[in-house]
Amino acid sequence: MTPPNFSATAVLKALRDAVPVMAVALILLGLWYLLTATLYKDKGFLVPAPQQVLVALADNSATLLAATLTTLGEAACGYLLAIVLGIAAAALMAQSRLLERSLYPYAVLLQTVPVIAIAPLIVLWSGYNERSVVIISLIMSLFPIINNTLLGLRSTSHNLVELFALHNPSRWVVFRKLRLPAALPNIIAGMRISAGLSVVGAIVGEFIIGSGNSQGGLGVQIVFAQGRMNTALLFGEVIAATLLGFMFFLLVSRLGHLLLRHWHESAKA
Amino acid sequence: MSKATALTLSAVSKRYDSGLQALGEIDLSLQPGEFVSIVGPSGCGKSTLLRIIAGLMAPSGGSYQRPQGIETAFVFQDAALLPWRTILDNAQLLMELEGYPRSEYQARARTALQRVGLAGFESAYPHQLSGGMRMRLSLARALALQPQLLLLDEPLAAVDELTRDVLQEELSQLWQAAGFTAVLVTHNVHEAVYLSNRVVVMSPRPGRILDVIDVPFAFPRAPELRAEAGFAELTGRVSAALRAIPQVSSPT
Repeated sequence: MTPPNFSATAVLKALRDAVPVMAVALILLGLWYLLTATLYKDKGFLVPAPQQVLVALADNSATLLAATLTTLGEAACGYLLAIVLGIAAAALMAQSRLLERSLYPYAVLLQTVPVIAIAPLIVLWSGYNERSVVIISLIMSLFPIINNTLLGLRSTSHNLVELFALHNPSRWVVFRKLRLPAALPNIIAGMRISAGLSVVGAIVGEFIIGSGNSQGGLGVQIVFAQGRMNTALLFGEVIAATLLGFMFFLLVSRLGHLLLRHWHESAKA
Repeated sequence: MSKATALTLSAVSKRYDSGLQALGEIDLSLQPGEFVSIVGPSGCGKSTLLRIIAGLMAPSGGSYQRPQGIETAFVFQDAALLPWRTILDNAQLLMELEGYPRSEYQARARTALQRVGLAGFESAYPHQLSGGMRMRLSLARALALQPQLLLLDEPLAAVDELTRDVLQEELSQLWQAAGFTAVLVTHNVHEAVYLSNRVVVMSPRPGRILDVIDVPFAFPRAPELRAEAGFAELTGRVSAALRAIPQVSSPT
């Protein structure tokens, strides 16, 4: 309801929120630097110094950017598919206890099967291509969304269900106007958990498919850097992959805030 | 209500699947346009009775006759609002569910909000309202449907006493203006007497009707009625009927 606020107090507030996080980051950077200047002096192949990582990042910026974009695309596809399929699967299971009892254990299996173990199979079936990476990313991010959505769909207030029932709406109307919006806070919670997982899944997938015929994503580049003992670049790539998952998380948090700010406690200031 | 057809419960009882006997045999007839309150101890099955009258629950014994196609609205104790909808969108919900055209339900929702004093709050959200305002919205949502039967399940139990008195007066005025049949479940004897034509006193579980007390005061009822001797006498009678409830005899 309120327009974006750029007043002095808002800027101060944003700064106040950012200061603790930045302070921790500076302390960690300082410790890292101290470590490389003392204990790991001249052992850059084990623990490169922050400035070495920066140089490696700059030297490989074009390759790194392309790799990051590739991984971003794969993770985003896997993540979006997980959201759509996860909500659809939960909606199906929410229709009856029988459906839930029949299907939910398989959703759990999806979570418990070691992705790293099943990834080679997927690549075998789907090929050494980006599609396999998307599928692995999807499997990685699916369960939290199914689980949280189902919890949300099952938690609709009993009074509201009765209120609707009195006016004989179709199942679809109850779903669209009551159960789905009521489940939204849970759906967003599931999406936040899956945000980072989708990137993890994409990197694992890239490890398995290897370089193939393209230069590949961050996972491929990480394997390359490891092979060449370029630890500084490896650090940079890990940071890039981490930031990617973090960006997904921020994006979903922002979306959740926009959708929930008018009514849900979790989104109020 | 389709012109002078009463709702009639004959020997209606309710036993839950768990084996719990919630209601004994209830005989009750509701005349069109009358305001009936049901009072009784906690767990006596009065909410169950209200849900049977609403058609939300089928009785397990006896018969319940109600005219076909009467518009029914239900008001819950916790207001049962959709927190993600604006006040206006909440007020029009029931008409939406009943398939009214948008042009009609928006106008009717606005009128209903005006009637309960919520004009100007159309684009606010429920969490921005006080408890009393939330209950007003819940009433507006029900009244916008122009129901012939309004069922109220302890709607004022959670609001403060001052607000409760004001809301009782408003509810009474709205009922007189619209002429629907009203059934109110409440713990509050004063509330029951102030609002009703008749007060039904129920026994502990399994709930049976112990007494039906007529309230003779003419409508409209002034707020000052609550201070009159006749009012006190009648609330005294209802309380006595409640207290006369045979206590579950403890083993000696």
